[in-house]
Amino acid sequence: MVSPGALRVVRCGGGGQRGARAVFSADSKYLLYASGDFVKVHSVNTEETLLLLCGHADLVTGIQLNPHNHMQLYSSSLDGTIKLWDFMDGIPIKTFTVGPKLLALYALASAEDSVFVVIPKKGERDTFQLVSVKLTKGAGQDLEGKELSVVLDGVGASPKQIAFGREDSYVVSVKDVNLQVYFFKLKLLNRFSLSTAKTKGGDNSFSCVVCHPTEDCIATGHADGKIRLWRNFHHKKAYTYSALHWHHDTVMDLAYSLEGTRLLSGGVESVLVQWHNESSCQKDFLPRLGSPIECISMSSDGILCCTLHTDNRISIINSNLRFSRSIQGLIKSRDVKTGLVVDPRTKALVLNGEPGHLQFYSLQSDQQLFSLDIVQRQYIHQAGLKQSELVKVAFSAQGTWLATVEESEEVADPELQLKLWFYSEETQSFALNTRINTPHDNHITDMCFRDMAELGDDSLILVTTGRDCVFKVWVMVEDSDPEAHQSVSWSCDFVGSYHNYQATNCCFSEDGSLLAVSFEETVTVWDSLTWELKCTFCHPPGNIRNICFGRLTCSKYLIGATDYGFLCCWNLLTCALEWSAHLNIVVLQPDPLSEHIAAVSWLSKESSLFVFKPSEPWPIYIQRNLCKEKILLAAFVPRDEPEMISSEKYCWLRKSQLFFLTDTQELMTLSTKSLEERLTPSSKQLAVEESLPMTPFSVLLGKHRRQQAQEDTDLGKPVVHNKQEQASPAVKELLHTPAHVLPSASFLCTIFINSLLISKENKSAEEVADEVEMESEKAEDDSDEEDVTAMEQEDTSHMELLGEMTCKLSKSQEKELRKIRKMDYSWISAF
Amino acid sequence: MSAGRAWAAGAGLDIPSAPRCVTQTRCWTPPVIPGHEARSVESLCWAAGDRLFGAGLGGDITEYDLSGLSAARGVDGGGGPIWSMVANSTGTQLAIGCEDGSVKIFQVVPGGIQFERNLDRRKGRVLCLSWHPSDTHIVAGSIDFFRVIDVTSGQTVQRIMVNYHVEKAKRECVVWAIALLSSGTVVSADSFGRVQFWDWEQGTLAESHTVSTSAVLSLAVAQEDSIIVGTSTGATYHLQLLPVRLGGLEKRWVRTKPFQFHSHDVRAVAHSPTALISGGLDAQLVIRPLMEKVQKKSYDAVLRKFTFPHRRLVSCARKARLLLFQFSQYLELWRLGSTEETGKDGEVLPLCRMPEHLVQLKSKGPEHIYSSCVSPCGTWLGYSTASRFQLYRVHCDGDGVSLRKVPKVPKLLPPAYQLQFSADSESLFVASARGSVHVFQLLEPGGCKHLHTLRPPSGCSEAVYLLAPSADGHWLAAVSGDWAIHIYNLKCFKHHCVVPTYDCAVSAIAIHPSTNNLVIAYSDQQLFEFSIPEKQYTSWSRTVQSRGLHRAWLERDSPITHITFNPKNPSHILLHDTYLLCVLDKSLPLPDDSALLMNQSTLKQLPETARKRQLHAFKICKKFQPLLFMDLLDKNCLVVVERPIMDFKTQLPLPVQQKKFGT
Repeated sequence: MVSPGALRVVRCGGGGQRGARAVFSADSKYLLYASGDFVKVHSVNTEETLLLLCGHADLVTGIQLNPHNHMQLYSSSLDGTIKLWDFMDGIPIKTFTVGPKLLALYALASAEDSVFVVIPKKGERDTFQLVSVKLTKGAGQDLEGKELSVVLDGVGASPKQIAFGREDSYVVSVKDVNLQVYFFKLKLLNRFSLSTAKTKGGDNSFSCVVCHPTEDCIATGHADGKIRLWRNFHHKKAYTYSALHWHHDTVMDLAYSLEGTRLLSGGVESVLVQWHNESSCQKDFLPRLGSPIECISMSSDGILCCTLHTDNRISIINSNLRFSRSIQGLIKSRDVKTGLVVDPRTKALVLNGEPGHLQFYSLQSDQQLFSLDIVQRQYIHQAGLKQSELVKVAFSAQGTWLATVEESEEVADPELQLKLWFYSEETQSFALNTRINTPHDNHITDMCFRDMAELGDDSLILVTTGRDCVFKVWVMVEDSDPEAHQSVSWSCDFVGSYHNYQATNCCFSEDGSLLAVSFEETVTVWDSLTWELKCTFCHPPGNIRNICFGRLTCSKYLIGATDYGFLCCWNLLTCALEWSAHLNIVVLQPDPLSEHIAAVSWLSKESSLFVFKPSEPWPIYIQRNLCKEKILLAAFVPRDEPEMISSEKYCWLRKSQLFFLTDTQELMTLSTKSLEERLTPSSKQLAVEESLPMTPFSVLLGKHRRQQAQEDTDLGKPVVHNKQEQASPAVKELLHTPAHVLPSASFLCTIFINSLLISKENKSAEEVADEVEMESEKAEDDSDEEDVTAMEQEDTSHMELLGEMTCKLSKSQEKELRKIRKMDYSWISAF
Repeated sequence: MSAGRAWAAGAGLDIPSAPRCVTQTRCWTPPVIPGHEARSVESLCWAAGDRLFGAGLGGDITEYDLSGLSAARGVDGGGGPIWSMVANSTGTQLAIGCEDGSVKIFQVVPGGIQFERNLDRRKGRVLCLSWHPSDTHIVAGSIDFFRVIDVTSGQTVQRIMVNYHVEKAKRECVVWAIALLSSGTVVSADSFGRVQFWDWEQGTLAESHTVSTSAVLSLAVAQEDSIIVGTSTGATYHLQLLPVRLGGLEKRWVRTKPFQFHSHDVRAVAHSPTALISGGLDAQLVIRPLMEKVQKKSYDAVLRKFTFPHRRLVSCARKARLLLFQFSQYLELWRLGSTEETGKDGEVLPLCRMPEHLVQLKSKGPEHIYSSCVSPCGTWLGYSTASRFQLYRVHCDGDGVSLRKVPKVPKLLPPAYQLQFSADSESLFVASARGSVHVFQLLEPGGCKHLHTLRPPSGCSEAVYLLAPSADGHWLAAVSGDWAIHIYNLKCFKHHCVVPTYDCAVSAIAIHPSTNNLVIAYSDQQLFEFSIPEKQYTSWSRTVQSRGLHRAWLERDSPITHITFNPKNPSHILLHDTYLLCVLDKSLPLPDDSALLMNQSTLKQLPETARKRQLHAFKICKKFQPLLFMDLLDKNCLVVVERPIMDFKTQLPLPVQQKKFGT
């Protein structure tokens, strides 16, 4: 698809699910859901993303298992194609080109060779129709699906607004206040409508529809929070409905259980409601799901159900309405005000998450690491209620200090709080150190730390700029109060201003000696020791939007972007403009590990990327039309190890990776590799192994194998087989490694014994003596502590261990031997 | 003014039980049978065709004389207070459920009822009963259980406890209503808010629907597949037997439509083939048509709410400026206040004389007052109950008022359905049974003499219920229960003519003082004007009939209860019902359906010239409601008696507390 070596824009997280319900695989082991242009395959048990089915050129709007082959999946997309996938291997089997945008997809067991899709009606805007597409049988991979026959006209655009009834005998569509039912066999179309009058403040219009799996009953959700159950709808007049009402706002989705005895509903209240039986008013609730529920889907065996939330979270819920686990990638927040910040400690992306929380998002695993409650106030979902919001966040260079700014939504008189958090090694989380109320009299516009490892803690200062026309410098002071349980706190050290202009941005030079603060049109440069104004730069007209210092060899340059469409580079030594370019820069992001600076421009509805060195007035890399969406934020994330990139053009990607966040909160990155490479092979292998079903036969087989293993021991074969699950990865690794790269047998022996003994130790909890021994050992050699942990973790990281074995060999060997010597072998006497 | 209390307390027969059979008259002014203090009615049923029986906590079964509008014959049930009574499908037998736990069967015979037999007696009052459609079994609901009785053997064949599966088992579970369907399903409604379906032969519970958190009080079945239940929160629910699958045989009861029309207990529900009818403690009768059963969009397809009374309970002495209020057990006489000032529209004028409560007259005995009247000069006052007729002479001496009973009132066959004094206060007309009207001459200083009895020439079995004398004392119009309007000449006491029959109940009549035209308001909201001297409808009336009245006028619920005329302008007719007061100006063109009927507020905003074009005959004021009475005292003075909703609500018990979201 992509020529080798070319940079590809890769979506790697976030985005919206856009109302397509998730699908469980037939064995309920995998969860498949549409995310942007992809279909993601998650393991239900491990919450891991196993596969990414990519191939669609636009949003995926609907996914359905092939009713005739449960290992296959149909997906439809706005690009006008239906694809059939083998989702276990992630291989597209067939592509059917339909043509118009496909907005929803339904696959029925009764329809042998056709699926139903929703397409826009030709010649009419905002009118959609449900059509059946005949999927032609052909040899090739790309097939035509042009044989369309209209089933229903005037349907809603959302996939939730159409449902197929019991045994696929009828189809229901809801739109606004109208409901239409089409009976396939009778060829009967019934239309019902509710009164449009908004009685008692309620809005009657439909929001979603589902059908009872075994009875002729339709459940519809409404904008006023009611659920109506329709019956007898094959009569034009004698139809009837009853209403269930708990939700106070729109019912976002409904789902029937497998037998139809329970009805699940969810909405903006973030509560999953289970209606037991329409005859009794009994209902159960699963509250506090975190964010509004967008879609609900049931697994085919009825054991699990999953809810998709508006913030991209997925919750998996047991049939007894217990929360089981949640799959959360990049949490979509209402507004990312904090920008993209990289946590220096975990290399995680840090940004707004749940309301009032800061999310730490792991880029490697596409998972949320944790969520830090900053505002520490209950979030109440209510329209028009003023909430406190997290607006700024900054990390010190080592990641030990975190500064956050929160403000209430009042525009005129914001209630500001600056909080400083210290990373506690013991609790492995941030603890609040200092809270400063009203640090500025108006909104805080920017904030940055100066932190230089070589100067120690004294160099740590924080600068905040505000619309109250000042910038403030905050320093750590020793706490004189003996009762305070912390030794340091933060206080204001210096207040600077410039001609009563609003301060908009601030930035420290790499060595920390200079502070640049932009005041509307002017950039001021201050000496960070004496707080003297050194020099000013400006490039009128236009206010400064972004500033940053060059790094490494380019540290004598200061880069600024104005909202008048200029990118300027000033030389700090000569105090003169070095060069300028006419570009409407939205994002200016320096790479912390190289001289490169990435700038993203927004011009005539497309975002373009420019990468340049401040020393050179021409960019080293340009990518026009990076994506359709507006890019709001960008961040360079340092790589764990430099990537081997041969092309000179992409050398700026060697040390760090560039990530973008669009206005739809989709996270994108640039990659030189194809997508398949990004997924670790281990996860693929996991998928295969997990896919083996637990059948009575396999249990029997397992028993048989164990017996065989015992026979093996009699024959003097490896002892490892006695050890069952615990040591198996290490053992497997050894067995799988080709013999010619294995280290010597003497070394391997210790590993075997080691793995055996440690796990035994863990098992015998009552043997306190061992623990005491362990502790004393720790006291003995603290320096070796890290190695001990490394050895204990070898189950997971054995591969690396084998690679580094030669250097650590003697040390660990020594230790192991010591351990064995100290080991209490009294337990043997028990046998 | 709290004049309307009469119908809240004394509503005896109208409210506690809704009619079981509602003939589809479009809108009706029901005849009223006066109540009795000692006989509250718990249950009503129709039997043997058109015979109406009632039973109550007094322990009597009473048959009502529908043509004479009175309680006719009473038979003691013999089992203490009677909680329920039902007739079998043919109407030949009545079953009653008594306080002592017995179920008794009475045979309906011509001229009365006859005790037939006792069925198996068990402890616990029988609150509700239902016959099997084939009359072989009776199901009787009690507290905590119900039982099925075989009618032929009289034995209890099944006893089912209903108080299982409830959390608060210590509370007793009252089966308030029960029904036995032909399929053998027993439907029970209980105080836990459940409607349960039982297979009585197996004694098993088939389905249970918790429709409400409070008690379900009433239940009615139609066509074996549709049930309406009423709860103590004022809600009614519709349950339907619907197929589980399209075309399948398996059916299930589904609670479908909830309605909240009442604020208090729904004590009685009825299910006609096309409508759900409910009546409750809030004294409203609601008819909710079933849209799927109604063929076309017509009058029947609209929700109807009726409040009572539909008759006049206030009378006015114009000259003496006195008002007489009729309550169920007493009368109150008030003198109106007066003012000497004038003001603009909407102003409240200060009173120079306060209204004065002159006297309260209590009726003797437990019977309710049926009709009352005060003479225009204010010196005579009469009332009647089911068995008695009393006439009083009012003496006003300064501030004090004294009443003296007129002795030797001629004995009449009771009751008097309507009393009416002539305009000159010299004679009294008493409406009586069989279409007759008695004329009394009032003699000073306190006596009366029977002058004549007017009878329709063709004879009539129904009682007269409305009277209207003309102002000049020449004519008298009388409406009897068969809706025929007879006009009598009072000079020679002869029958003058009959107004052409119109097949609808008459709700109000009045004779114009100057033209002697009789204005008739029917309960279907039609208006007629009949010229008595010419014995024919007037040309205006013919125009009205040919043009037709405005649709909005015809679709009102509440009938016209009083008609009066403006002495200043002979073309003005003043009408009122519960919700509006209307000045009908015959000189103006009639509105057509496209015009706005209630256009007074829009007219006010129009300039003078445009206003002229928009004027039409109906000038409606909805300022006062609910209206009980309106009359013109003189040229400049109109008296309006209004019964405020709040005043009425405060006399009801507190409604069941319900949690409302957001409060």
